[in-house]
Amino acid sequence: MTEGRRRPALPGWTWPILLVGILAIAVLVEGAVAPGRLVVANPDTAAADALADAVTELPDGSLVLVGMDPDLGTYPEIRPAVRAALDALRARGAGIAVVSFTTEGRAVAAAEVARLRSLGATDDRLLDLGYVAGAEAGMVLSVTELAPAEGGDVPEPFAAARRGIAAFDMALIVGGVDIGPRTWVEQVGTRLPELPLAAIVPAVRHPEVAPYLRSGQLVALVGTARDGAAYAAAGTHADGLPSATGMLVGLVVALAVMLRAAWARPRHDADGGSPEGDEA
Amino acid sequence: MNGFVGPDAAGTAATWVAAIVTLGVWSYAVGGGRIFRLAQYLLAGLATGYLVVLAVREVLVPWLLDPLVADPAGEPLLWVGLLLAAALVAGRWLPPVVPAVPVALLVAATAAFALGGAVVGTLLPQLGASVLVPGASAGGLLNAAIGAVITVLVLLAFLHGTRRGRISGAAMSIGRWLMLAGLGGWLGFLLVSRLTVLLERIGFLLGDWLGIR
Repeated sequence: MTEGRRRPALPGWTWPILLVGILAIAVLVEGAVAPGRLVVANPDTAAADALADAVTELPDGSLVLVGMDPDLGTYPEIRPAVRAALDALRARGAGIAVVSFTTEGRAVAAAEVARLRSLGATDDRLLDLGYVAGAEAGMVLSVTELAPAEGGDVPEPFAAARRGIAAFDMALIVGGVDIGPRTWVEQVGTRLPELPLAAIVPAVRHPEVAPYLRSGQLVALVGTARDGAAYAAAGTHADGLPSATGMLVGLVVALAVMLRAAWARPRHDADGGSPEGDEA
Repeated sequence: MNGFVGPDAAGTAATWVAAIVTLGVWSYAVGGGRIFRLAQYLLAGLATGYLVVLAVREVLVPWLLDPLVADPAGEPLLWVGLLLAAALVAGRWLPPVVPAVPVALLVAATAAFALGGAVVGTLLPQLGASVLVPGASAGGLLNAAIGAVITVLVLLAFLHGTRRGRISGAAMSIGRWLMLAGLGGWLGFLLVSRLTVLLERIGFLLGDWLGIR
């Protein structure tokens, strides 16, 4: 009898459209009503400050190696923070060399290097070291030997880079799913304990990498959406952050789905059925 | 703006392609399996082509072929590398033991580096950082103590096939809940991560593609 009074459920394919529609409306409304006034922010700036301090404390004319190994799926999340860090390094006058140990990372690195060159980064400030094959083994080899992607001579400020990672004053690791801060700590940090390692990773990798910050093996870690927002907002890439209203609406939707699931479970039990897990 | 493409014709074409492929991937959620499969094939094809170009241009030519051509007797080890690479490429037509040699070398070297690094770079330093240091601050000591207790309780949750007393049973149950709490926290990170990426795509479609944001 109660079945007859139940409203017909929406077809499954409508939910994704509804979700994207709601998020799109939230993004548009924010842009129309309060452009630039609502931003993703984080009152706890400790992680962002640590990365900013690591850049500030670099010696004049320093060389920084950017280990660019994000994956294509999560790079949009950390892109504002990465670009803010690259801008901070350029503003500090550091020579930036970019290297990748994953093929996906190389694709992103090539695009970012091209973007930096289009913004005016010259060869004496930016060096593309390309892709190093061999994963961990390639990384270990790079500790003592590196060569530019295009071959040939390297500009004078980067002459020391041929001596490998050991020649750099800091490494900024942009991590993803494969090779990231953990591999750097294990393969490079153990061989070059004096080299400061800073990292930017997507939120999903934060639990894995956070212990290395607490143990002092990383000098800075920007690893959550909140930390990324704090760092990018303090820098030059606040406009690249996700929509604050969209984030709020998305999290409310997620909470509603979670509550619905929690509500549905006891009702299921009350109907006399048993959850699948109990039968196993 | 993702900053990767400019306002020129190539940039406009790239934006349109990216928008159409984004919608094609999303179509899977509403039953558009064929369009999604097309996007998958496109990705697989592009990735394969990209990998070949990368391997030839940035690995084989500069690190293997160029040095061999320039000075064939200079680096004898490169000839070994060339032979191993050839054994992998031609493995289909060779006795199984021949391609097994480079594969074994690859697996062994990777395992050796990964295992050594994990012990020296992660296990020992993290164990050291977890030890209760007498001179640490009260907050540090409390953190370390909580960490140690949680670690023990979660490890207890993995005990199977042993007799449970009241206390050990309760400890194992708490350990399981702590593990679930940790998993929940990680899923929270995952949710924020994926939500950020979804909003970036929506922003791309509304702004870069449609120009209404």
